[in-house]
Amino acid sequence: MSDAALAHATTAESSAEFIVEMKQISKSFGAVRALHNVDFTLRPGEILGLVGDNSAGKSTLMKVLTGAYHRDSGEVLVDGHATNFRTPHQSRDFGIEMIYQDFALCGNMDVAQNIFLGRWPRKGPFVDRKLMYAEAAGVLRRLNVNVNSVYQKVESLSGGRQQSVAIARAISFDPKVVILDEPTANLSHVATETLLKTMLELKAQGVAQVIISHRLIDIFEVGDRVMALKRGENVGDRYIKDTTEQEILELMIAGTAETAKSADAARARLASPGSSPRPSP
Amino acid sequence: MSMSADAAAPRLTSRPLQLAGGWDVGLLVLMALLYLGGAVLNPGFFGSTDAFQALLRDTSRVAIIAVGMTFVIVNKDIDLSVGSTYGLVAVIFARLYAPTFLDLGIVPSLALCAALGLGIGLTNGLLVTLLRVPAFIATLTTLLIGRGFVLALTGGQAIYYSDKGNEAPLFFGLGETNTFGFNNQIVVALIVIVVGAFVLAKTRWGYETFATGGNEQAAVYAGIPTRWVRIRGYVISSLLATLAGLLSAAQDRGVTPLYGLGWELTVIASVIIGGASVLGGRGRVIGSCLGATLVVLIDKVLREGWPIVRMIVIDGETIPVNAKFTLPAGAVPAFLGTLLLVAVLIEPYFIRRQVPQRLWAYLRGQPAPPKPESGGVAIEGVQTKGAMASDRAMSASGVWKLLARRDAFAIMLAVALWLVGLSLRPDYWWNLENSFALLLNYTELALLSIGLTYVIASGDIDLSVGAVLALAGAATAYCMKTLGFDPAQAVVVGLIAGSAAGLVNALLTVGFGLSAFIATLGMFYVARGLAAWMVAGQQLTGFPEGFNLLGRKLIDIFTYFGIEVPPGVLHAVSEALSVQTIYMALIAIVAGIVLGYTPFGQQILATGGNRRAADYAGINTRRVRFISLAFSGVCAAIAGVIYVAYYRSFNPTAGQLRELDGIAAVIIGGGSIFGGYGTIIGTLAGAAVITLIRSLLSLQIITAQGAFVMPQHWVNVFIGVILILAVLADIWVRQEGIVRIWIERIRKMVQGGRNV
Repeated sequence: MSDAALAHATTAESSAEFIVEMKQISKSFGAVRALHNVDFTLRPGEILGLVGDNSAGKSTLMKVLTGAYHRDSGEVLVDGHATNFRTPHQSRDFGIEMIYQDFALCGNMDVAQNIFLGRWPRKGPFVDRKLMYAEAAGVLRRLNVNVNSVYQKVESLSGGRQQSVAIARAISFDPKVVILDEPTANLSHVATETLLKTMLELKAQGVAQVIISHRLIDIFEVGDRVMALKRGENVGDRYIKDTTEQEILELMIAGTAETAKSADAARARLASPGSSPRPSP
Repeated sequence: MSMSADAAAPRLTSRPLQLAGGWDVGLLVLMALLYLGGAVLNPGFFGSTDAFQALLRDTSRVAIIAVGMTFVIVNKDIDLSVGSTYGLVAVIFARLYAPTFLDLGIVPSLALCAALGLGIGLTNGLLVTLLRVPAFIATLTTLLIGRGFVLALTGGQAIYYSDKGNEAPLFFGLGETNTFGFNNQIVVALIVIVVGAFVLAKTRWGYETFATGGNEQAAVYAGIPTRWVRIRGYVISSLLATLAGLLSAAQDRGVTPLYGLGWELTVIASVIIGGASVLGGRGRVIGSCLGATLVVLIDKVLREGWPIVRMIVIDGETIPVNAKFTLPAGAVPAFLGTLLLVAVLIEPYFIRRQVPQRLWAYLRGQPAPPKPESGGVAIEGVQTKGAMASDRAMSASGVWKLLARRDAFAIMLAVALWLVGLSLRPDYWWNLENSFALLLNYTELALLSIGLTYVIASGDIDLSVGAVLALAGAATAYCMKTLGFDPAQAVVVGLIAGSAAGLVNALLTVGFGLSAFIATLGMFYVARGLAAWMVAGQQLTGFPEGFNLLGRKLIDIFTYFGIEVPPGVLHAVSEALSVQTIYMALIAIVAGIVLGYTPFGQQILATGGNRRAADYAGINTRRVRFISLAFSGVCAAIAGVIYVAYYRSFNPTAGQLRELDGIAAVIIGGGSIFGGYGTIIGTLAGAAVITLIRSLLSLQIITAQGAFVMPQHWVNVFIGVILILAVLADIWVRQEGIVRIWIERIRKMVQGGRNV
């Protein structure tokens, strides 16, 4: 598998360096093997859907990436540098941001205070409120989201707007990678549409994104590539253009190590006549 | 266990050895050792069978309450009101039954007492479940209201009805020694223990209790009526406290206002020592009862003291004299409080980490059993709930913007209350003496409340502020009078003592991960016990005047330094203003600026609002909480030193009930009991509200019938009610926007009516 990863790194399709490359990641919790020799790649500006059944290891893999969990073995390269994050704060310095399912915001504080949570701008010993609200408004404008006012308390916002605040907070760090954990799980239909628009906006600005989600429909709408895990192992990696929801579902449920070839390998297989692994819907 | 049984059904019979069993054996061994120790040290008391009888008799009442408390604690709740319920029931029974009062029959008296117990339990349960008041705040308030009633209804006097007791031998026999030679209360306790143990361990009621305490959300999903389960726990606890109170009435045929004082500590310590977890879902009735025996035994050993030989010098000759060393009565809680804190730490740091198993394996040279998983995976999530008020603040402007602030209510209320005072007693309210007195009371409370604002805003609680005030004051007075320190040194020692208490609170809460209310509750008893110990039997008065200046009016300072103040505004101001008010103002200004305008203040609010989110954002929430709790100790210490300087003496009741006043001040001033909110201006206004209410209630009202003053006991009851109302208003009006929802609903109904 690592051979394949090395091989397709040299192909014309992926002339750009990987922004994130994880090799042979393993992680166990006591007797439970959560991840077993999992490989993962992400290119700059790419939207990757990370799918799998419950307990497939999606969130665990991303938490290993951010440093919330410590891997048992394997390598994590960010922008080509080998890293070993001990906390999420360290991965933040490398431009990796995670947006948690419950957004991790302080409801008692307003939008601007939350965007700058923990790093409020100072003027002498005091918080520079003027600067904080101005910059927060700037970030929200960049994101093109509609939050009534930077002065509004977050707990009085709807779920979709709270998520916008969480995303605004993430991109205010100027990240290279944003990981969204089940971003559409608690959102209404309209809010989901807005979110997908925001994601495309971020992609246009060159931010790579990983969506951990059960909802294939969202991934197929905005994603470039989709990667499937099953019981902590790679079972598939496909370009959205080359695959169908049906195939991904089958991979999630019945995928094996054989089906786990890289997206480029899958595309090559697809191109050669007579050996299409693609099932007819 | 025989071999054949092993072979026949190995799975069923060979259950792994659980520590719980070993725990009970350990408790028994410890108790035996303690008793033997007591017998060796004090054979006069512990050597007799009478002592053993007395121990079992006194344990039986504590054990009965502990059975109920086990239900509450397994439910992940806490009931601080049991001691006052016990005392109040005994008092009410006396008022109903005693010939000097209502002189009712035995049956109606007992029935009314049972109804009272039921009422208290239901009140606690409803406050905690339906109205969502945190358990320790709700039951602390019932505790203090109950104590207020006890004092008010006895008038501080004992009530006896020895002769009338002979009319109802069936009931009063319960408190007497039976023909078999032991007290009937032991029989009653055994019945309660057996029934309680059976219900908790073997019935659905018990299983529901464990489920609710283990994971309330899961229990709700499983269809368990968790609210009813928790209310039931409170009712059981309260009814058993009632039973214990009635047993004491049967035994003593009378009551004093001290009945049940501090019993909540004894009972909670018993249950925790017996193996229950304050985190809920763990606890056994038998363990609690063994714990109760142990705690009562420790209490007795401490109170009975031990004989010592004192050297007395008479006419130049040293003569050994037999004497008895006893602790002053107030000092016992210091030990019990420490015991409680140690017991709470045992479960997470000793049992959960399998220390005994690992030690045993190490001693036998075997590999240690694997450490249980304890990753930083589950970080406690705290989410604040929606506040509609902030939306109003958004759209408002000008005066309305000011009024929409969370602390505006307290400021308006303070002004209104002051005007009420002015209208009630225009002759007296406006003059300098009254303003001076008001400001003084205000200063003490405001100092405590400033520290509490930090603690409450960062999502913790400090129940020990009043006791820490007493500790700091006692240390200062003790150093000056008994140890002969000069005032500056004494002040430093006092401040160190109080700050150390704050540091211990912070260490227990942040370092050891205890919940703040348990840690500071332990400190409440420890600090009060130490203060009582230091001042026991001594007259701590007559300090150097240089020290007393810390608590004097400005004019006294000017006079002390020989400065003449010409009559006029300056003279009037320096007559009303005292030094401590200036200290308080300085601290308030600094604390207010830090909380409102600096990143650290924002860190406090973020930590209180959502600790997990703050952690992810890189805020060192442990540091924030540590500093807040320690700061609260410092504020209480300063208040304690000033107290001594102002009164020129130390009174053991210093700072009593002040924790309640302080919490109420912070909540009224816009803080939330769940953390994340609070301003110093609001707190100062809240403290003013409490001070004004206290002085209004003790105001002499002159009517046509004559002068009327409300007794102090009723004032305390009143303050308790105000605290609970403030917390309720915070939860239901500020956080949930209930009033607004009702207004919307009414508006819709009206509109609907029009459309039709």
